[in-house]
Amino acid sequence: MKLRASLAAVGIGVGLWGLWLLLHTVQVQALIRLPLWLAGAVLADDFFLVPLTVGTGWLVTRWSAGPDHHRTISAVRTTLLYVGLTTLIAIPLLLRQGKGVNPTVLPRDYLRDWLLLEATIVVAGAVWFVVQRSRFTFKRSRASSGDIGGR
Amino acid sequence: MKLPAPPTEKSFRSPLHHPRVAIVIGRWLGIAVTICFLTGLFSHFQQETPGWLHIPSRPANLYRVTQGLHVLSGTVAVPLLLAKLWTVYPKLFAKLPWPPSRQALANVLERLSILVLVSALALELFIGFVNTLQWYPWPFPFKQTHYALAWIIVGALLVHLSVKLPLIVAHWRATPEPVADSLPPAITGLTRRRLFRTVAGAAALAGITSVGQSVPALGPVAVLAPRKPNVGPQGLPVNRTAHDAGVTGIGPDWRFTIKGPQELSYTLDQLRQLPQSRSALPIACVEGWSQGARWEGIRIRDLLRLCGAPEGSRVRVVSMEKGGFYGTSELPPEFVDDPLTLLALRLNGSELALDHGYPARVIAPNRPGVLQTKWVHRLEVIA
Repeated sequence: MKLRASLAAVGIGVGLWGLWLLLHTVQVQALIRLPLWLAGAVLADDFFLVPLTVGTGWLVTRWSAGPDHHRTISAVRTTLLYVGLTTLIAIPLLLRQGKGVNPTVLPRDYLRDWLLLEATIVVAGAVWFVVQRSRFTFKRSRASSGDIGGR
Repeated sequence: MKLPAPPTEKSFRSPLHHPRVAIVIGRWLGIAVTICFLTGLFSHFQQETPGWLHIPSRPANLYRVTQGLHVLSGTVAVPLLLAKLWTVYPKLFAKLPWPPSRQALANVLERLSILVLVSALALELFIGFVNTLQWYPWPFPFKQTHYALAWIIVGALLVHLSVKLPLIVAHWRATPEPVADSLPPAITGLTRRRLFRTVAGAAALAGITSVGQSVPALGPVAVLAPRKPNVGPQGLPVNRTAHDAGVTGIGPDWRFTIKGPQELSYTLDQLRQLPQSRSALPIACVEGWSQGARWEGIRIRDLLRLCGAPEGSRVRVVSMEKGGFYGTSELPPEFVDDPLTLLALRLNGSELALDHGYPARVIAPNRPGVLQTKWVHRLEVIA
């Protein structure tokens, strides 16, 4: 209990120090707009990104109940997740493509690279699926032929 | 028409919304946030060194490593934060205890601390990443806000740990996995172990596709990094160009002056006649990118000896740059005395490009790029 209380006390102290820094280094004009951006960050996470993931996960799980789909679901889910994540990170880069403050900022062709990255993730997912399936069918054929590892 | 009922905590049936999952991913996120905070603090102290702190000039690559880690841990924290929020998402729909009681008050306070933590951390990661693109679409100053939010995050995190401590202790080690009443993991394939692997894979993917801006060997696959370490004049990126700094070059009457016990003045040709030294030092920027380079020029400590300044002197470096925060910088004694610290005239085998600070710039070990002042025309011994 003592540990918890002191952790909380230190936490409140450190947080208030951050607040003090904010109030003393940022001008009022900017300070009054900061809460809007903080709220925006919460809205983007809790009311867009996470519901999107929950919703997609629900759809994929529902789809996986279909015949034979249980074999593909892992590959499909992981591929979707990685495509989503890399796209999220790529959005600012794609938006600012060609608008860097000088030619050494954002020097890549981000649209091409993003498409290549997504293609690589999809192909890797497909390869992984094929490898998984061949293992699965190998095990099953061994089992059905009565060869179950020497037992 | 009747609207569907809003979800409740019970609407989310996946057994992966479980404290054990939250704790494993929380530990990973905690490690990333801690690395990010400590390396960020180091970078802050590099730029605003308090009087009691002496930053050593060695290891020469220290800042390159810490700042690369800062941006890497921040980028990797993005998938970790999303996974953590996903795991605890049903809690968002938990009913507030009613009627009011001490317990209810504690619950409200806890939720407020989580609101502070989530909003500050999400915004911090967002502005941090977008800053590496040198894009500032928000109406507040980046540096001050990023720094203050970091302390707020750490404070809110400590409060969060204090509130959750019993739960953390109870689930620190693996607990038996409950079986879902809807679809068992045997069908959906998502056991805890597999979820952890998937999240770790997502974090690794975010890291591998961006770390190449600080690790030139991985540059070709850094498709999600705003910099390529070898793109720029003389194979080195630029943050502030001569054009942006209002520097157009130098005339025949250009002089470099050093003001100490004596005041000395040199033309560029005279500077070239002084004993030249070589340093292999990186440019490591606060935005996380870095690249090694070969520099040639005059040791700052040799220049100080020439003007009769005592050892242990501090030096103000003055640029021809107009406006901006970094028109001057200060070299503490540790950096002045280091034999690697140069007034560089040449870079990678040729004369400095104008964008790299022609005719002369400072290059010192273990320093953020913003303090490696370009277009230097004056050194002042100040202590």
